[in-house]
Amino acid sequence: MNYEIVCGIETHIELATKTKIFCGCTTEFGGEPNTHCCPVCTGQPGSLPILNQKVVEYAIKAGLALNCKINTKSHMDRKNYVYPDLPKAYQISQYDEPLCEKGYIELDSGKRIGITRIHIEEDAGKLIHENGYTYIDYNRSGVPLIEIVSEPDISSAEEAKEYAEKLQLIMRYIGISDCKMQEGSMRCDVNLSLRKPGDPRFGVRTEIKNINSLSFIQKAVMAEAERQADILDAGGTIVQQTMRYDEGTNSTTPMRDKENSDDYRYFPDPDILRFSIDDEKVEEIRTSLPELPFDKLKRYVNVLGLPEATAKQISRYRKVAEFFEGALAEGASVKNTANLIVGTIFSNMDTEEEKELFAVRISAAQFAALVKLADEKKINIGFAQSTLQKMLESGKPVEEFIKPEDLVGISNEELESLCKEAVDANPKAVADVRSGKDKAINMLFGYIMKKTGGKADIRKAEVLLRKLIGQ
Amino acid sequence: MTISKTEIEKLAKLAKLSFSEEELERFTAEFDEIIAFADTINQSIEGGTEQIRNVGARMVSFDDLRTDEVVPSLPNEKILSNVEGYNGFFSVERSKK
Ligand SMILES: [Zn+2]
Repeated sequence: MNYEIVCGIETHIELATKTKIFCGCTTEFGGEPNTHCCPVCTGQPGSLPILNQKVVEYAIKAGLALNCKINTKSHMDRKNYVYPDLPKAYQISQYDEPLCEKGYIELDSGKRIGITRIHIEEDAGKLIHENGYTYIDYNRSGVPLIEIVSEPDISSAEEAKEYAEKLQLIMRYIGISDCKMQEGSMRCDVNLSLRKPGDPRFGVRTEIKNINSLSFIQKAVMAEAERQADILDAGGTIVQQTMRYDEGTNSTTPMRDKENSDDYRYFPDPDILRFSIDDEKVEEIRTSLPELPFDKLKRYVNVLGLPEATAKQISRYRKVAEFFEGALAEGASVKNTANLIVGTIFSNMDTEEEKELFAVRISAAQFAALVKLADEKKINIGFAQSTLQKMLESGKPVEEFIKPEDLVGISNEELESLCKEAVDANPKAVADVRSGKDKAINMLFGYIMKKTGGKADIRKAEVLLRKLIGQ
Repeated sequence: MTISKTEIEKLAKLAKLSFSEEELERFTAEFDEIIAFADTINQSIEGGTEQIRNVGARMVSFDDLRTDEVVPSLPNEKILSNVEGYNGFFSVERSKK
């Protein structure tokens, strides 16, 4: 039997503010247990929470970047549940007046996944269960979070992954979170049910909690959809419950139920005043947003004429895009700038994280100075690449590596005599090329490059060499 | 509005508290009184307490929210001064239930 997947995702993202949501304690990761704490974030009686302005600003940024309507009046609610990770036995969250509502994320296919709401709330502490005891560290308690709730518009495992990927990209771009899933600064809960195609009614849904990688989202959706389909095919019914995805067995299993724990008895927190944000402020925040990655991608392809693959690689990381645009502003050409970034600079960066950080030792202007030499054909691309590599390693400008005599290049006569020299000096390679082992010509290129310090035009050299070898 | 003993039992369960039968009876009566008191206040306000939030309550504007500047936290000993700590952690014996 074929079923249609109906899936929505709730995403918790830790905001990169300096202080916690309701007190001035640092949000810095790690530290000795219970050293980033005060009476407010450990829920001492009589302490008074005061909302952090930056949290509201960051949440509005997220809302605007996700095409949401911003509620200019908002308040905090208490969400009650008893568990030792919450010192007050309630979490301060938002219930019926979230900061942002009714947005969307557009997938590559053009399909829009609706965003129901974004609200702000506090994170809980960390528990360690050992030897019959629970040890509690409240350093994370009160760290600001936003929860982004999607509509159940997702209808495949691939869409689920793409949604989370796009969300992560946008949040990093606007600089409100590093969204590291492995470290828990972005966590996803997936709601999923199945229904027969065309059926307007929703099936019974389950929730898969705390998925901590993008690829696991895709796998978890597939595994849970399969599990539910098997039950339905066998004539069974789905039980509404919370599931855990196990990557080892690639399967979903029910979690031990916290009985009735969804009875949260929300009510407005009387300690925290309702707050308002005027439209001007919202507009001010809107104008502070950078151009978003998908808009950049479109512009790079449609206006700058970059191939889509290259445009994607550059627009994906905000700092790379800024470096690229910085070099263009200095007059460097689109093609050479893009190719040197993707071909040479990226070859020094193995991980996503390094590209995200993009800690290069030269400025965009220094980079542009080199690119322009290649644009004006004063140096060839190979020489530009090797010089760029030296600049990256030393942090020194192009003048340190390219002398005026390098700029004229190698004259045709010089190149011709060099080619002859190369042929004479490498009889075996020449014989190999003649007998069909074409790769042997690289030996001759190597000889010429070594003699010229990489300045020779390799295409010209190849024509000359082949003529000499008699091909 | 009145409250039933079943509701009190449910609240106790949610709060992970257990009470004797006699305590439950007593709390049900006490809760009823508290709710009646709140009802009286509610009725004396035109439009109900909901109206207080919408019209009368003070609101704070964005500019008056707390600025994001770190202030020193309390020393660990101070944080743990009212509890039995263990290696800097709060420690709780896990219930057998
Ligand atoms: Zn604190």
